[in-house]
Amino acid sequence: MIAMDIDGRRVVTEEGRTLLDAAREAGIDIPTLCHHEALEPFGGCRLCVVEAAPADSRGPAELVISCLAPARDGLVVRTASERVKEARRTVLDLLLARCPTSDVIRRLAAEHGVPRTSFPESTDGSKCILCMLCERVCAKIGAHAIGGAGKSRGKRIAAPFDLAAEDCIGCLACARICPTGHIGYEETDDERKIWGRTFRMVKCEVTGRPLMTEEQRSFEAKRAGLPEDWFTKCPESKRRETAETIAKAFEEVR
Amino acid sequence: MSEPAIVIDAKRVSDLLDRLPAGEASALPEALRAAQAAFRHVPREVAAAVARRLSVPASRVFGLATFHGEFSLFPKGEVVLKVCTGAACHGRGAPTLLDELLSKLGIASGGTTKDLKFTVETTNCVGACAMAPVVSVNGELRGNAEPSAMAKELLGGRS
Ligand code: SF4
Ligand code: FES
Repeated sequence: MIAMDIDGRRVVTEEGRTLLDAAREAGIDIPTLCHHEALEPFGGCRLCVVEAAPADSRGPAELVISCLAPARDGLVVRTASERVKEARRTVLDLLLARCPTSDVIRRLAAEHGVPRTSFPESTDGSKCILCMLCERVCAKIGAHAIGGAGKSRGKRIAAPFDLAAEDCIGCLACARICPTGHIGYEETDDERKIWGRTFRMVKCEVTGRPLMTEEQRSFEAKRAGLPEDWFTKCPESKRRETAETIAKAFEEVR
Repeated sequence: MSEPAIVIDAKRVSDLLDRLPAGEASALPEALRAAQAAFRHVPREVAAAVARRLSVPASRVFGLATFHGEFSLFPKGEVVLKVCTGAACHGRGAPTLLDELLSKLGIASGGTTKDLKFTVETTNCVGACAMAPVVSVNGELRGNAEPSAMAKELLGGRS
């Protein structure tokens, strides 16, 4: 068991948790951009910065990245001290210079007291903050279809050789996880377009609603060792069917 | 004049692939280095074949190929000239040298001539300041000369 002081509150957590985990479990909010519960901590955006000091320390507290910093017994953590706020403003100042056209970043920056950036603004119109959530979620799913390309100021997210992403299954996980909406896609009931590819949708055989792309179905079926026709109904239809089966069973018993 | 091209024949590709340990993702940098050496760039079809051979996602191959300066997606010239832009070289005429190379070849910095003979790039200090201005010629350092004369010599008979 680990006991810490976060913002003057006693927070108990377990070995292996991060400061961010512990704070959130205690209902203390720390802003993040590159963090996602389903993925490994990444430490890319630096927005989750907090101040932490061992209880017995006579030196100054250190600024640490809460999504990476492990919880340790006796730590005194401050998530909203002046110093933390200042560090966070610097991070947002930089992000705003990187993505001046992103509403999400603009709003976030404004909320933290950064109405405009003090750095030269990027002019490429990109809304990508290089949080790598898209690459990481794509890898987690197992498709590995897209990823970072280039380096330094030229770094960007791309499909291999900037062509149609061959390994893409059209699941939209990247577009949905992207905090700034940088990844564009088009969707109708019949098809989905993303990363230079056009995917046909599989429809729920009960409601006729689009379920997933054909490629997604093959991918999921293969991974789970299931036949492709396993995925024929949307979750709602499945639930309704289950409910009906149960209701019928009750009637028979009665 | 016929279009210059770097031939990516199946034999050379399969030779390259055969030397790679199948399914060994850690051999990726080595594979790209071999491709760059054989074809003076990392051709798309070779990258795809390398990805399959090493069981590495194409996205990772592309990521690495675009990350390291030693790899290029477009063919480099037979001779790659890297002009050092460190302080000592700058002071001893590197800008003049670079300008002359570029204007004689009619390319921009980082560019390659149409006939694929020359590529001209700049590099940060190579640590050979005593022989400024320094140019790396396919990896070999040259220097210690008057910039214009050097430019002329580096390009051989070409003007
Ligand atoms: S495209 Fe979106 S999810 Fe991907 S790195 Fe950029 S901001 Fe993050
Ligand atoms: S959430 Fe911690 S660095 Fe991005």
